[in-house]
Amino acid sequence: MSQLTINHVRLAGMSACVPSTVEDNRTLPIYKDENDALKVIASTGIERHHKVDDQTTASDLTVKAVEALLEKMGWTAQEVDCFAYVCTSRDYIAPQTACILQDRLQLRSDCCVFDLPFGCSGWVYGMSIVASLMSHGTFKRAILVAAETNTRNRNPRDPSVRPLFGDAATATALEYAPDSARPMNFMFGVDGSGFDAVWAPYGGIRNPVTTEALEEKEVSPGTYRRGVDMIVNGMDVFGFAIKQPPRSLKELIETFNIDVESVDLLLLHQANKFIDEKIRKAVKIPAEKTPYCLEEYGNVTSASIPLTMVTRCGEQLSAAGERHCLACGFGVGLAWASMEFYAGGMTMVDVLDY
Amino acid sequence: MNIEEFIENFASQLDETAPEEITAETRFKELDEWSSLTALSIIAMVDDEYDVIIKGNDILKSDTIQDLFAVVEKKRR
Repeated sequence: MSQLTINHVRLAGMSACVPSTVEDNRTLPIYKDENDALKVIASTGIERHHKVDDQTTASDLTVKAVEALLEKMGWTAQEVDCFAYVCTSRDYIAPQTACILQDRLQLRSDCCVFDLPFGCSGWVYGMSIVASLMSHGTFKRAILVAAETNTRNRNPRDPSVRPLFGDAATATALEYAPDSARPMNFMFGVDGSGFDAVWAPYGGIRNPVTTEALEEKEVSPGTYRRGVDMIVNGMDVFGFAIKQPPRSLKELIETFNIDVESVDLLLLHQANKFIDEKIRKAVKIPAEKTPYCLEEYGNVTSASIPLTMVTRCGEQLSAAGERHCLACGFGVGLAWASMEFYAGGMTMVDVLDY
Repeated sequence: MNIEEFIENFASQLDETAPEEITAETRFKELDEWSSLTALSIIAMVDDEYDVIIKGNDILKSDTIQDLFAVVEKKRR
């Protein structure tokens, strides 16, 4: 089993920025009537999501989130030693978006910056990578971004995705803390045979963009897609999501001898309520310890866990002392990861509108 | 596992179809109430009751409840 323990790194602060335009699932033109819409809302728990316009990128939302976080933390951009950008909706095919953000955010030219093109598991993977680098002790301050503009790479006339996915950017500040006694613990998992459960077939090197890949086709009655649009095979994702995340969390709990009774927060990737509730019940954590923000923001892929923390756990995470947290991210890859950490006394910025 | 119990479990996931209307030969995707959401609750039921994860393709390729039962049975071996 690939397990990882990281010492001497603490979560110092968080922020999030969402587009101000809200799309309500009750009034989407993809349903034949409101009753149809209410059925989907009842089973997914997702009522609405925030949506960028066609000029705005995940990096635009990111700049606002990071600047507000640095300001409230009292950090300057020049003090950031490492900057990681978890996102699949990159600005350009090349270069990495993190390079552009170095300039936009005025990070140091010797700052260690990189993109991490993870999907829904991305915040947990990102934490493992950035915290690992910091644990060596020379990077004192880091920013981990998890951001996505899902509405821009999915077809608005695809009813299997439009009501579910939204856009958001989040920033997490990490700090080297040599006196911190609490480790972060991780477990990882991947099943590449499920690569086509959530994927965009065209636009990479295997299937480059062609004129045909840009043509919108009715792939099944009422569902339209282009070759470059993201496909979510709901049934396969669902089958995966009710099996692997509970297994991963149970492995984490067993490997690191976690007393489930002592857990204060279970932070799940906000896939949909039906899936997340099955995961929660499988690990026997009470509902009041499992916050959700999907009703308001939908599935925002890698930004889901940090957006939940910013919008639903601000008081708990900023209060003194420490909260015992478990997190699990799962999805595109198929990839998943679970994490145990402690957090408290954090600088939490209220969610910002773009 | 037996087919009678499987049919019963399958029928319990349906809201608008009476259980007695469901047999091994029922072409489930032709039921009025069948939707992608019903498919998800069938996948969840099979996971809960039989500890097997069926895929979207398994459902696409099965016409009758008997067909789906055969898939679950094969995966359990």
